Amino acid sequence: MSAAGAVQEPAKVSTSATQDTGRRTIVAFCCRECAYAAADAAANARTPLPPTVRLVLVPCTGRVSPLHMLEALADGADGAMLAGCLEGQCHYREGNFNAIDRVKFVQRMLDSVGVEPERVRMFTMSAGEPPKFVAAVREMDRTICALPPLERS
Amino acid sequence: MPLTNRGREILERLPGATFQHGAGIGCEIVRHEELCVGCGKCATNCPSGASQRGATFDVNQLLAAPADSRRGALGAALRRIACHEPSGLVEVPERVTVYRTILYDAEKCLGCGACVRGCPVEAIEAQPPKSDAAASVANAQPAVTA
Repeated sequence: MSAAGAVQEPAKVSTSATQDTGRRTIVAFCCRECAYAAADAAANARTPLPPTVRLVLVPCTGRVSPLHMLEALADGADGAMLAGCLEGQCHYREGNFNAIDRVKFVQRMLDSVGVEPERVRMFTMSAGEPPKFVAAVREMDRTICALPPLERS
Repeated sequence: MPLTNRGREILERLPGATFQHGAGIGCEIVRHEELCVGCGKCATNCPSGASQRGATFDVNQLLAAPADSRRGALGAALRRIACHEPSGLVEVPERVTVYRTILYDAEKCLGCGACVRGCPVEAIEAQPPKSDAAASVANAQPAVTA
């Protein structure tokens, strides 16, 4: 998948900001209408983001299928997060509701094969809430850095 | 469905007419679960409720799917990160539409083949009736070729 392909870039970025955690990668699928705009505003305000996170622009979180999330994990990410619009404010009416259920489904699948379900999470925010985006990314970063690196075969 | 007497009369009057669905009901329905994408078309088409969309999903279906299919790609990704074999069934949230196991109840099945015609990935096959009861239903109709 192209989304997972874009994620492939190795984690060469300096990891000094993340304490002792080694190299972790989090893929953040961001909705163009809200989360990506919030990320943009946060970047313009020069808010430091954890170096683990890689942003992937999607038109709507409803576009992200279980395959995107699982391939991101399988191709090198330690966690995947979806950042979409507030509930009921999706620009495509119910894309984020679909995404919420898909994330739940992927979490259950991960659980059934013995992978921590916290590795995939969904956050919601509006375009005018850069602090909320930054808080979500930091929370995800803390969660993932607390977990051991994802083992792959 | 079998022809009625009236239907048979009409068929005999028409030159060059054939009754295409001669086997009617009583076909042996064979499901190929590894090809199934879980869309539920068969459940929508089923007149007797023998096929139903389940509320759970068996993760093993992903692992068993052919590698070039969408489910197979998902299974391949899952296999790379899996710690152990899938443990049991996964409950599917309401808005996840395709990753569902179709429940098929052979007892309720009429063998009409509506699911076969609806299936987008040809995961269901209708075979000529095998059992005696089904065969007698099929044989009761004349194989009309006017």
